[in-house]
Formats: sequence, structure tokens, C-alpha cells
Amino acid sequence: MADDAAEVADDYRQALEDLSVNSRIEIATLTNIARENANHGLAIAEVLQNHIKKVPPPKTLPALYVLDSVVKNVPTPYSLYFGPKLYSIFMNAYTKVDKDTRRKMDEMLRTWKEPVPGSISTKPVFPPEVVRPIEHALIAARNVAFVANHNSFQGQQQLLRGARPPARETPTPPTGRSAPHAGLAQGQRPSLGQASQMPPQSMAQQPYPMRPHNDPNMQQQQQQQQQQQHRPTPQPAPAQMSMPHYPQHQPQPGLGSEAGYGPPPQGISIERLKDDIQQLIVAERTEFARNPLDASRQTRLKALLDLQAIIQRQDMPQDQLMLIKARVAELAVNNLRAAAPADPLTQHHQPPHLPPQQYYPPVGGVVATPTPPQVAALARPPSVTPGAGGGGLSLSALLGQKAAQAQKGSLAALLAAKQSATPPALGGFAPPPATSTPPQAYQANFPPAAVPLPAAVRSPSLPQGPPFGQPPAVQPSPVLATDAIKQEAKPNTVALLAMLRQKGLLKTDAAAKPKKQAYHSQRFSQASLKQHRPHLTPLFYDDLGAPCTQCGRRFRPDAAGRRQKTAHMDWHFRVHQRLADSEKRGLYRSYYVDEMDWIQTPLTGDADYAHATAATTTAAAHEDQADAGGSGGGGQKQGGRKQLQQLQYLAVPDDGDSAEAACPICQERFEMKWLDEAQEWVWMDAVRLGGRVFHASCHREVAGEGPGVEGVLGKRKAEDDFQSVRKVAMGGY
Amino acid sequence: MAGIPGLGQLAPAPSVTDTQTVVLLPYWEWRFEVATEQDSVTVRLVKGTAERDGTELAKKPYKFERTKSRIYTLEGCTLDITGHCKSYVAKYPRPEDSPLNVHINLHWGLDEMRKEARDRGRGAQGPRVLICGPSNTGKTSLVRTLTGLATRMGHEPRRQASQQYGGSSAEQSSGWQPIVVNLGPREGLLSLPGTLSAAVYGAMMDVEEPAGGFGITSAPTSGPSPVPVKTPIVYYYGREKVEEDPAHWKDLTGKLASSVRAKIKEDETVRTSGVLIDAPAVEFAQGGLELLVHAVNEFAVNLVLVVGSDRMYEELEQRLAGVYTSVGEPIECVNVEKSDGVAEVVDSFTRHNREAAIKEYFFGDSKRTLSPSLQVISFDDVAIFKAPDESEAYEGQPALEPAEISAGMSSWTLTIMDASVNDPPETIRQAPVVGFIAVAEVDEDRRRLKILSPVTGRMDNKPMVWGRWPEPYINLLG
Repeated sequence: MADDAAEVADDYRQALEDLSVNSRIEIATLTNIARENANHGLAIAEVLQNHIKKVPPPKTLPALYVLDSVVKNVPTPYSLYFGPKLYSIFMNAYTKVDKDTRRKMDEMLRTWKEPVPGSISTKPVFPPEVVRPIEHALIAARNVAFVANHNSFQGQQQLLRGARPPARETPTPPTGRSAPHAGLAQGQRPSLGQASQMPPQSMAQQPYPMRPHNDPNMQQQQQQQQQQQHRPTPQPAPAQMSMPHYPQHQPQPGLGSEAGYGPPPQGISIERLKDDIQQLIVAERTEFARNPLDASRQTRLKALLDLQAIIQRQDMPQDQLMLIKARVAELAVNNLRAAAPADPLTQHHQPPHLPPQQYYPPVGGVVATPTPPQVAALARPPSVTPGAGGGGLSLSALLGQKAAQAQKGSLAALLAAKQSATPPALGGFAPPPATSTPPQAYQANFPPAAVPLPAAVRSPSLPQGPPFGQPPAVQPSPVLATDAIKQEAKPNTVALLAMLRQKGLLKTDAAAKPKKQAYHSQRFSQASLKQHRPHLTPLFYDDLGAPCTQCGRRFRPDAAGRRQKTAHMDWHFRVHQRLADSEKRGLYRSYYVDEMDWIQTPLTGDADYAHATAATTTAAAHEDQADAGGSGGGGQKQGGRKQLQQLQYLAVPDDGDSAEAACPICQERFEMKWLDEAQEWVWMDAVRLGGRVFHASCHREVAGEGPGVEGVLGKRKAEDDFQSVRKVAMGGY
Repeated sequence: MAGIPGLGQLAPAPSVTDTQTVVLLPYWEWRFEVATEQDSVTVRLVKGTAERDGTELAKKPYKFERTKSRIYTLEGCTLDITGHCKSYVAKYPRPEDSPLNVHINLHWGLDEMRKEARDRGRGAQGPRVLICGPSNTGKTSLVRTLTGLATRMGHEPRRQASQQYGGSSAEQSSGWQPIVVNLGPREGLLSLPGTLSAAVYGAMMDVEEPAGGFGITSAPTSGPSPVPVKTPIVYYYGREKVEEDPAHWKDLTGKLASSVRAKIKEDETVRTSGVLIDAPAVEFAQGGLELLVHAVNEFAVNLVLVVGSDRMYEELEQRLAGVYTSVGEPIECVNVEKSDGVAEVVDSFTRHNREAAIKEYFFGDSKRTLSPSLQVISFDDVAIFKAPDESEAYEGQPALEPAEISAGMSSWTLTIMDASVNDPPETIRQAPVVGFIAVAEVDEDRRRLKILSPVTGRMDNKPMVWGRWPEPYINLLG
């Protein structure tokens, strides 16, 4: 039996790994497999959960759709299995995907609050208890985006009020049967949201968007298939709920935006909550016993004990209890799991008004020359996060923050960062100022109320917040916000909040695993890499000037560029000449240079004839000058003379005859020697002049330094000098 | 139809025989395979701009032989194509859909990092990038593209580098000059297979070469080169896979890294341009991940591009999370999708390319004939070493032992090391490579060895190493 389960799980995992696109057929198949193996449901649920956790961002959505499909079609037992872990599954996935996928996840989350489409059951896919914490966390995260920048509570209040109505006015989700729901999910982008939502039928029944080029007929067929799969199974209440049923199964129009904040369902069992906390404490104790020196565990244990004491003593409002319960359950699930939160320092939250940086002519990049707004943005959003979250959601926000931080860094900050992923990238590879799209795209992510915020972000009066994960700087806001939103929170609750914070629940979690953070910069985010930046293309072409007709290398049209180009064309010319020459003489592969040579020789671009030694490079430079300048014999003579002094060896000629040659002046044979510098056999103190090889010293003696040299050998001689220099130098390569 | 990415792959066009004109829209690619020896194809850019792996094409004919590659365009182009090859046009409805777009964006990201390093000055280093992934995912092609694009950028040196060299380099180096490092022994960079090497790339790369500027064709010769010469530093590994002798591979990687570090220290343009490392395709089961991490540490890599493997990406990201480079930078991992156009490289093709590389090392190619020298030397005048057999491994075994010269050695290439015969074995084994010789004939009776040497003259006192790969295929003189 156990083996069976393992086998089924293994098969299922493999099937999941093959799933990379939103293929309805595959998802339907996976759903069927899950149905047929419902007796191994736990194993399958486990596999699917792990898969969603591990799968890379692009494949996350299909995996979530599998979960969605399984839960909707085979609610028993899968909704039971997934329910308790839903928060972690969803939030984990949410943090790693891009914003398009998030939008789809928002839509999916919304369908979970409703009954299964086509089912006679009136129960929602997942009980509100399960879905609501997710919504809260998302709302909290989003609120941060605009609350973050108002350090006065008043500002927050106004903003919250101002921000929520747009959410309510969102176009009705096109399910055809329910009024708009809470959750800024669809409210964030009224226009975009509408555009992206599906036609009612497909929204309700087929949350799997097809890839663009699918045959409509096929789609219909698949729809039918899908419909057949929806069995109107009555759903029993999921096990983890302690009360028999929910007061409101049907999503009600009146619920509106209050759903997130409204009175919770009655009957949260305080006993159960206490049990859960007790269990956590037991687990924590075990851990503590194992690692008695771990201070973070100690503080966490202490905090839990305190929480337990408070709950046992106090009579707390139901909703608070419920939120605590949700978080406690969450903690229990994810207690010790290490995660890889994003590095807070990398989360550039960029205000929308930041003028696009132009990239060329050369200026520093985002980091190279940070503009003040960016600096401000870098420091602030994380610092205000906890307060902001608290402002929206009181206890849940605090605990939510904690859970979120413990698992994956502040979701809120992450959200803010992710949503702004595109603009910073644009700052880097910015379009010309004329293009106004980036700011628009950016703003689309926020309700209008968020627009004035950049000013606040930049405001110097903002206190420098504590680093990410520290207790929030704004202590009272959670209380006040709670007041404003709901019934009065008891002072004890506030005390609990403060205490939890001070006990180091936040701090320890953040400090416990700072090492496992994977670093990600905006520059190489998937969104940034996918973006098309046509405005940069000219930097490869026209902005570099016209290309060389021979090799395509480009040169700027300015003076330096022209000079370069002239030298470059000369180089081509010389290479052609010498190629023909050298073919006759016989070419061979050079030995590689030794390590010191390799390290010390700078790349000389076109000057492939330059040798490693300073002497030859100088010679080459002279040659360059002479050729490029087109100067007459005088210049060449000078260059030639320098070479005579500096280069006193010559590669041994390849042909046998001249190898036996002797100096015409002293009649002595040349001495052959291996020269390391040149990496070849050379005649030292030798120089080739006018087709004959002399001892350089002999020749100098005879010819002297007088003007006679040029007179005797003429220009032709000087050119041959260069030829010999080249040959020697080339030997080095 | 035309709008579906990669559609062209389904039905590769039959061999092109006559001249045909191919029109590419921006971000489209013309992918071609000239696999057989006899075939060749000539491409001429008629209109617009086009590139092969980061190097721009001039409006002149380019001839390709035994090459599987692509010509792409960012602005649109018209190509005239003559000759026989398998080819197709990869079309993308939007530039965003093209894998090329990601590569271009990677370049801009690196460009930004280089500018930061340049502006920061004081020894700041440009990005050190490791490009890894399974085999046949287009790693080398990506490295080449990033290299080509980097060298083209019109960047002004902050200070005039290396004034002592006559100031010519500041004048001539208009682009970045990244160091390209090859850690995969299956293909050599400016060298033969079985080696690890590095070279500064700062100038135009050879478009026509099968390996696009990375191959042996571009290795230095005694003569002038129509394409600016690249000088590598080479170390000899002598096996096909890194997993076969991981300890030796790690040692050589360390040696190469220290050469690269010294180079970076020496040259400011190189320093700010950074390093592009082509990692070998490692196998996870055999500790491949740790080998990659070793390379990351040795080269102080701060950016890892994982091509075509989600799993490798996940594992590397996990492994490198919270790890910092020696200069305290975090290490970033980026998942790069494999291009749908990566050619399926079959063993026979790579084998053929290896053989061609060895032949070309000594004899040159059709454009440039080289004349190696044939020498007859006594057994007593050479010092040939080989790594001891694993089967007879024992504790304290030397890294190299003198090889018995026998007929079995004929047709093998031996590697000349830049060391002394009297150096300890470990020193010889880890010395840089001077060059290669091929054993043409072994006369055991007369104790004479006929060898093919690239250069006239003898290598006195330089030890040679007899590796285990690549195995000989034909007698170069036969």
C-alpha cells in the first residue's frame, strides 16, 4: 500500500514535471489521475505541493492550474489536503512569479471563494477561512505600495479610504453570478483587468487560458470535456474547520469590499487555536532541546509561550482569533522551512516619475550614478512595510508580515519591487525621453491614489526606517488602523503585538536565515530580459559610425574615428600585401606565448604584427605612424634606424641556402640560437638589408650613422627593413 | 503561418543549390548547416545589417564550410546565398519572442556593469560571467555573441591604458576587451580539443571560421592575419570530460584563473571588460555542480547564466545563495532559455571537427596554408610523459611518469609544455602549453621518432605530455 502510494506519487511527479504550458488536456489528464488515485490523495497532494514550490516561475501557473482543477473537480479529499497548506502554496508561488501570472492567480483565487461552477453544491471551493488570509496578505502587500510613503497615520487613513473605492468600482468579475468581491486583486488595474478577464463561461469553468494560436473548435471540444468532468459532488466541509458550516456560502453583492475586513464567520474555536499553539510550542521545544544554544529559537519559543498565555487569559474578538489561528496554522506548516527570500537591498522600488535615464551618450547606469529618488526608494519601502501592513490589517498584518518574512522575505516589499521591475530596468536601458510608455505601464499597477506618492518617497522628512525585518518604526498605527476599520481592538492585543515584536519574533526570523537569500538584480530579471529595447539597437550600428567595407568594423565619424579608420585601412592593406608575401615564404603555426608574455602584452587591436617586447611595439608604432602619415623617406629612415638599434636578431630563414649564409662584411657564419622572447630560432645581431643579411654591428660599422645609408640603399632598403621587423615580430605569435 | 516561432524547423528547406535571396525582418535568424566536407555556402549581405554571433558582417561574400550557425539581424536585412546547405529562416512575430532578444539584453546588462566598473575606477572589475548548462544548449554561441557585442561597443577608455606601449593601444582599443575563458575540454578555444584556455578578445572576430573566431583557425601563425590575432594562454587537460579527472581539471582551472587574475590586474581595459567563461557541460550525478562552483570561486564569478536547464538553475541558485565573491559581491544566477535554434550536433560532426582542428593546427586551412616541419629525432632526445593508468593507481603515485615510446604512440598529438624536463611531474602537468606535435611514425628498432612540428627547430629541454584524448584518427602524413 505504502509502495503503491510512493509509486503513484512518483508517476504523478513525473507527469507534473512534463507540464510546462497551460495545456488544458494535460491538466485534465492530471486531474483525472488525481481522481482515480484519490485513495493515495495525500501523496498526490504532497507531490503537487512540492512541485508548485520547486517549479521555476514560468511553469508555476500551469502547476497551480492543476491544483485548481483537482480541487474543483475532486473536492474530496483534495480540498481537505490542500486547505491547510493553501496559504503557503499560494503565497510562495505568488512571490516568485511575474505580474501577469499574478493577475491570473488573483483570478484563480477569486474563483475559490465561490462554489464550483456547475456544481449543485453551494459551498465555495475553499472555505473563506482558508482563502481570506491569502487575500489579506495580498491586500496588505499592495497597501504597502501606497501607504508606505505616508508616515502620518492620517495620511494612511485617507489613502486607505481613497484607495478602496476604486477597488469596489472594479468591473464585476464576469462570472455572471457574483458581485464584485473584495480584494484589490481586480481593483488594481481597472482597465487592464477588464481586458484580461475571460468571457464569463470560460472564466467560471476554464480558468486555463489557452495559448494564442489554438483552434477554436478544439477549444470548444475541450470545454465540453471539461464540463463533463465537473461532477456535481456535494462537498463535505473540510476537516480542519471546527464548525459545521459557514453562514454565507453564496458570495453576496453586499459583501463587496468588506469581505476582507468584515465580521468573520462565527464559531472560531478558541480551544482549537490553543491546541494549535500548544502544538507549535511543543515542536519548538523539541527543536530547542536539540539546539539549546540557538538563541533565535529560544526567543521564538518565549514569544509563543507569551502568546499562549495571552490567549488563555484574554477574551479576544473572533476575527482577531481567526487571524491568529490562520497564522498559527501557517507557522505550523512552514515552521522550520528555510526559504530563499529576495535580498531586500536589491529591491529597487522606483517611483513612477523618475525620468527615464538616457543611456547614451555614456552615462552611468542605475547604480553607477544613483539619482536621489532612487536612493530614497531603496531605503524606504521596506522600512515602512510593517507599519503599513498593520495599518490595513492589524493583527493579521503583523502576523502575516512575520510569516511572510520568515518564509520569503517581506511579500509586500517584494511585491512593490516586482511590480516596479520593469521601470528600473528601463532606467538602465532607458528609451529616449520621448517614449512615455514606461511610466504608464508602471502606474497601471497602482490605483490612481498611488500617484502622488513619489513625492512622499523623496520627502527628506521621512525618518530613515530600520532595516528590513526590524520592528516597525511606526508603533501606534496598527492599533489606530484596527480601530478605524473594525471594532475596537483591546489594548492587550496591542500589547501582544508590541510584545511579539519585541520578543524578537520578527527579528529572529529575519536574522536566522540571512545567508540563504539568493541575489537577484532588476537588471537581469526575467521581465527585464524579455523586454524589447529597440531604441538601443542603433548603438550597435549607426551610432558607431560607418563600417569598414573589408571587415565590417565601425568607426566614428569624428576626428579620432577617422584617424583610426585610416590606420585600420592601412592595416588591411599591409596585411593583404604581406599575406601574399608570406605565402611564398611559407607560414607556420606559432607556438603559444608563455604566461608572462600573455599577461603583460596588451591587446593591440589590429596591430597583430606587434611583438610583446616594448622594442617591437615601438617599432610597430613607428611603422604605423610612417604608414598612416604617408610621410616620405625621412620618416621611414628614422623609424628604420631605431629598429636597427633595438632589434638585433633575425629569424633563421626557412630556405636551406640562406641558412648557410655568412655576413658579407665579416664573412662569418651567423650563429643560430633559440630566442625565448621570439619563440623561434634566430640569428642574433643580424639584420636583413636589401635582400642580404648582415651582422647588424658590422653593417653599422661600415655604413655608420651618416646620410650615406639612405643614399646607398634608398627607399627600397627602408621598406625591407620593415619587412624584416615584421618577420621577427610575427615570429612571436 | 509566418508568425509562428520556430515553424521553419518543422520543414527544413531542401539543399540550396543556386543563388537565393533571403529577407530577414528584425530579430529573425537564418540558420544554416554545412555539415559535409564538400559543401560550402557563400553568404553576402546585400541590404541592412546582419551579424554572426555578435560580429557584424561587412557587405562582402563570406564562405562557410563545415559550420552550423546562424546569421541574425537586429534591423532587418537581405542576404544573397549561394551554395549547398541545409537552412531555414527562424521567424518571430515579435522581437520579444526571439531568444536573441534575451541575449541582446544580457549584453546591455553586462555593458552597464562594465561602465560601472570603469566609472568606479580603482581596480573595479567588470562582470565575471560563467555560462553553463547541458550540452547542445548554445552556451558557446552565447559566449561568442556576448563577446562579439562587447568588442564592438564604442567605449572611451577612462584613462589611456598602457602608455608605456607607445600609446597605441588607447588609440586602437575602441571596444571592451573581455577575457574569454574556455573550461570545456571538448572544444578548444584557439587551441586543440582537450585543452582549457583563455584569451583577450578585443577586436573583430573571424566570421567565416566554423567556430566563429573561437577556433584553431584564429590561433596565431607566423604570418599576418586578415583578422586581428588573438593570443591564448593554454593548459592541457588531455581528456574529454571534466568528470574523468576532476582533480586535474580543478587544478588547471585554478592555474587558468590565476593567469586571468594577473592579466586583469595588468590591464585596465581588460579589467573593466570582465571575463566570459564557457563552462563545460557537467553531469550532476558525478558531482558536476561542485565543479561549476569551483570555477565560480576561482574566477570570482558574480554572474552565472544557466542556459537551458531549469534544474541546474535551481540547484546553482540554491547553492550560491548567500555566497559572496572575494570582493564581496553577491553572486547572481540567471535562467536563460535555450534558443530553439540550437543545432543538434551529432557525434560524427564534433569528431570530424576535432580532426579538422588538429589538421588545421599544422597545415592551416584553405585560405592559408601552413608548412609544418617534419623532423626525425632519437628516442633519447625527447622526454615524453603520461599520466599513470588509473587501474594501477597507488598511494603517492606521481602525477606523470615517463611514457614508454612505442608504435602505439603514432598518430597521437603530444603537447609541449612550458616547463623543464627536470621539473617535478606536477609542475610539468600544470604548465602552460607551448604547442603540439604529431607523431608520424615510431621506428622502435632504430629508436627514432618521426614527428610533425608546427615550427622549424627543436624544443630542447621541453617536456611533452601524452594525453588520453582526443584519440588519433588518421596519420596526418598519410
